Amino acid sequence: MLLKKNITLVLIILLSSFNIFAEKNKGLEIAIMADSNISGFIDSRSQMKMLLKNKKGQITERSMRSKIMEVEGDGDKSLIVFETPRDVRGIAVLGYAHKTETDDQWLYMPALKRVKRIVSKNRSGPFLGSEFSLEDLSFQEIEKFSYRYIGEELLDGKDCYLIERTPLDPYSGYTKQKVWIEKENYLTLKIEHYDRKFSHLKTQYFRGFNKYLNKFWRPSEIEMINHQTNKSTTLLMEDMVFQNGYTEKDFSQNSLKRSK
Amino acid sequence: MNGLFKNLNRLIFLFFMASFSHNIFSITEFLGEISIEGRSFSNEGFFNQAKFHSSLSVSPEIYIESDDLKKSFSFKPKFRKDSEDSERNLIDIQELHWTIIGNIFETKIGIRKDFWGVTETVHRVDIINQTDFVENIDGEDKLGQPMINISFERLNGTFDIYALLGFRERTFGGKKGRLRAPILVDTDNPIYESNAKEKRIDFAFRWSQYFSDFEYAISHFSGTSREPLFKIDLSSPVPQFQPLYNVIDQTGIEILYILGSMAFKLEGFSRSGQEDRFSASTAGFEYTQIGIFESRIDLGWVAEFNHDDRMENSPISLGTRLTFNDIADTQILSGLLWNKDTDEKNIFIEASSRLKSCCKISIEGVIFTNGKKLNKFNPYKEPEGLFDYFQEEDFLKLEFIYYL
Repeated sequence: MLLKKNITLVLIILLSSFNIFAEKNKGLEIAIMADSNISGFIDSRSQMKMLLKNKKGQITERSMRSKIMEVEGDGDKSLIVFETPRDVRGIAVLGYAHKTETDDQWLYMPALKRVKRIVSKNRSGPFLGSEFSLEDLSFQEIEKFSYRYIGEELLDGKDCYLIERTPLDPYSGYTKQKVWIEKENYLTLKIEHYDRKFSHLKTQYFRGFNKYLNKFWRPSEIEMINHQTNKSTTLLMEDMVFQNGYTEKDFSQNSLKRSK
Repeated sequence: MNGLFKNLNRLIFLFFMASFSHNIFSITEFLGEISIEGRSFSNEGFFNQAKFHSSLSVSPEIYIESDDLKKSFSFKPKFRKDSEDSERNLIDIQELHWTIIGNIFETKIGIRKDFWGVTETVHRVDIINQTDFVENIDGEDKLGQPMINISFERLNGTFDIYALLGFRERTFGGKKGRLRAPILVDTDNPIYESNAKEKRIDFAFRWSQYFSDFEYAISHFSGTSREPLFKIDLSSPVPQFQPLYNVIDQTGIEILYILGSMAFKLEGFSRSGQEDRFSASTAGFEYTQIGIFESRIDLGWVAEFNHDDRMENSPISLGTRLTFNDIADTQILSGLLWNKDTDEKNIFIEASSRLKSCCKISIEGVIFTNGKKLNKFNPYKEPEGLFDYFQEEDFLKLEFIYYL
């Protein structure tokens, strides 16, 4: 009897640990599915508008343009150039994302004609007064997180998987992120960001999905709400164009200097 | 300058004719800025210069880009009018250049600016452009340089070669100007070592590489020194400095290494041709604290150590940058240049913020302490410290910039 009981106990422990393992795998599987929806696009460019809303609901607008290129076997290369307000015009950020190592980033300061390397560990702070950090704006490589499957949930009438991911980068501004991924097309609809003290800092919503080239889903609106400051920033993506034939040269230091 | 403008007009006209007839240039933008600045000094100058100085600068800009983004044209003149010091009046072409992007290299022809270097407080290797010293003593304001620049890019680096077509003299304050040496610089009579004088063609190259957390660059400049020596003209009843521009060879090095959240930086050069060969360098680190005191405010720290074979002292520069991360991009910079041997200090604090979406305002306070004041009976005596000339020159500056 005693032996039997013990075996059952061992079995239960084994099974439950398998279960944890399976759930871990399921979280990763969903993340991979969600990623396959956005990866393989080769390159894209878009015009972006950033609407910064303060506590009183007053709105300030910024505009910028961005381009991004996938790199075989590595993270994406991206270039963001600011257009308005006028005093930041021409300021540009060049980023080389990596799958596991820290990303490389450079800032171009047009007044001084200077390209300055950014210590990319400092990416958790607010980006240009917005509720987005550079970390939020950079492409989220699958390899940069560990995943856990939580369950299923209904979000605005849509069936979603709810997974939790933990950034592996010790310099990340977050300890965990809860991600709602819609079941039908594996589109990320919502992310809750938890700060270093594990308290709920920000919520990010992805809306207005469009399908490009019959394959790639992109949101036309991303809203980030900061629960600690009651401020929010909305990023509107306009004129998205895919497969522009970009090469490495379009994401070089010289291209950064040219980014008027 | 007049001749240059005449030629310029013709060039621009020809360019417009050519570009519109082929209809290849699609993106044309008109930009620029207007800045009004007032400087209020705590004392009257040693030579009775006024306490309040104001100036107006205007720099419009035209930018044209071809449809395929492979060609572009940029024109940006700068005009400055000062209320007191005629030497601070300026007509300069900051940019007038074409950029042509080829498959193997990129060519830039015309007047432009280019920056070399990694450090924050003192820029040692930056030598392509002449310094507009009267705009600001920090040396970050530059004059346009005519050049042909060819740039080759490889996967991890860039190789730039420059033919620098002609020379620009450094600007120095005049009789009524502030922050100047007691002996005036006779900018009308510079002495050049080269027989070609200001028409000498200089050459330079810079090779920069990056490997994840490590970046470096090696550069060489062969030509007329941007930094003059001074010859004193004793024939004049009022002694005057004549700037002496030697032909120099200067090899520079820049290193940047990122370790954790720290950036370590070093830049320096070795120069021959200006008396004995000498070297000068600046090295230090930069560190940023994100969200201090649980706020949105970032605090950046810079500490840099300076060495110059020509000087007995090795001053230390310390700086902080408070970035408020607000909608108006408010920022407060402060800095200290401390000569530890004499305890002289040059301290500045500068706050800037955006007003509406069109404008920016900045306030800067600068003080000089612990230097030896000029001797009333012999102001022309060699200074003992770094800031002896500037003991009466503490000032507050208010600047308002309107973006077109």
